[in-house]
Amino acid sequence: MESNIKKQRFVYHTEGVCPPEIHFHIQKEDLNEVRFVGGGCPGNAHLVSRLMEGKPLNEVLEHLKGITCRDDTSCPDQLAKAIIAAKSGELDPAPSFQVLTDSSPRNRIGMIGDLAGNSDALEILIHEMRAKEVDVIYCLGNLTGNSSNNKNIIQLIRKEGLIAIQGEGDWRYAHEEPDGGSPYHEHKVRDYLFRLPHVLSFQMGRKMGIAFFGEYIQNLPGFSDFDPFALEMNMVCGLTRFMQDETVFPALEAMIPQFKAQIILFSQIKKWGYRQIGETHFISLGPVSDDNGLSWGLLETRDEKIDFRIINSSLSTGG
Amino acid sequence: MAKAVKDLPEDIQKIVDVNEWDMRTREGIQRFRELKAKSLPSVALDGDLVYESLIPMQEELCGEILRRYDEKNEDS
Repeated sequence: MESNIKKQRFVYHTEGVCPPEIHFHIQKEDLNEVRFVGGGCPGNAHLVSRLMEGKPLNEVLEHLKGITCRDDTSCPDQLAKAIIAAKSGELDPAPSFQVLTDSSPRNRIGMIGDLAGNSDALEILIHEMRAKEVDVIYCLGNLTGNSSNNKNIIQLIRKEGLIAIQGEGDWRYAHEEPDGGSPYHEHKVRDYLFRLPHVLSFQMGRKMGIAFFGEYIQNLPGFSDFDPFALEMNMVCGLTRFMQDETVFPALEAMIPQFKAQIILFSQIKKWGYRQIGETHFISLGPVSDDNGLSWGLLETRDEKIDFRIINSSLSTGG
Repeated sequence: MAKAVKDLPEDIQKIVDVNEWDMRTREGIQRFRELKAKSLPSVALDGDLVYESLIPMQEELCGEILRRYDEKNEDS
């Protein structure tokens, strides 16, 4: 059973070392789940993390402080600085989930649901979406799956400038203990997934939208029912079971006036669906590939009206 | 909390425990689903959903509480 003492998560932006971020938790006065993210030597970083797991902060600091690697600092030294900053209150605890704000107002959004590592499908859909002149492409998780093409997916997302959020499968993959034979690029994939935002907010005309994968976000350490957009997530995941339980829609309707977002996208149930309740639009994203071929979602605004369509691709991944 | 529930007369307050669930929270949603409620506001007595979409007048609520209290005490 989990301790009642609150576990706090911190993200420290490093200086002078290869990994740009160190993520760690402090519970009571102990250090947990240290992770050097985004670069550096994964083997050594992993060793530091294992050795420090569950150790009291004062004991940890004795070992970490003053080690140099380059520029008069090192990964352990940066971790020491991070812990000191967290202890002194200079470094605030990180929110349980990360919200990415797409700052450009959008009129035509292409949306991709569960990719599960299908990079061929992504390539085809990007081509189709661009032909339909979408402003932006959102990938709403899961990006990766039991596939050898996970790395290609991430390369495509970066190269094509797509906006991606983390899915539950991506979260699991990012948090898995790498096996002994993991090649270096596996670590890079995991780090990329680990740093992905969990929620995306965007603007279409006067309407604010949010996109999230599903209920795993509610189970992240430190999730609060009063975090930004937590109400929308609680209503979609908990109350309406992803908009599948119509009997509770009267209650949902009563809660909608408290929402910040008027367009809500989610992809956990891997099933296409659309509901409009009052002025609020709920969209469930289906998988990219199923028995009917490839599909994606097109969200448009015209004269402040929201239009959602499922587009079935004329192409297939072949094979 | 609705006034009818909050300001129950003292003799009624002595025989009931009042709980309010916040529908913004996961705990509140879980309770709402356990009660098989559909709309807001809803009032349950002894775990039975009695009033949906409305908060009753205080007299009516007190009457229902007393009826259930008497029924329970008759049984015991």
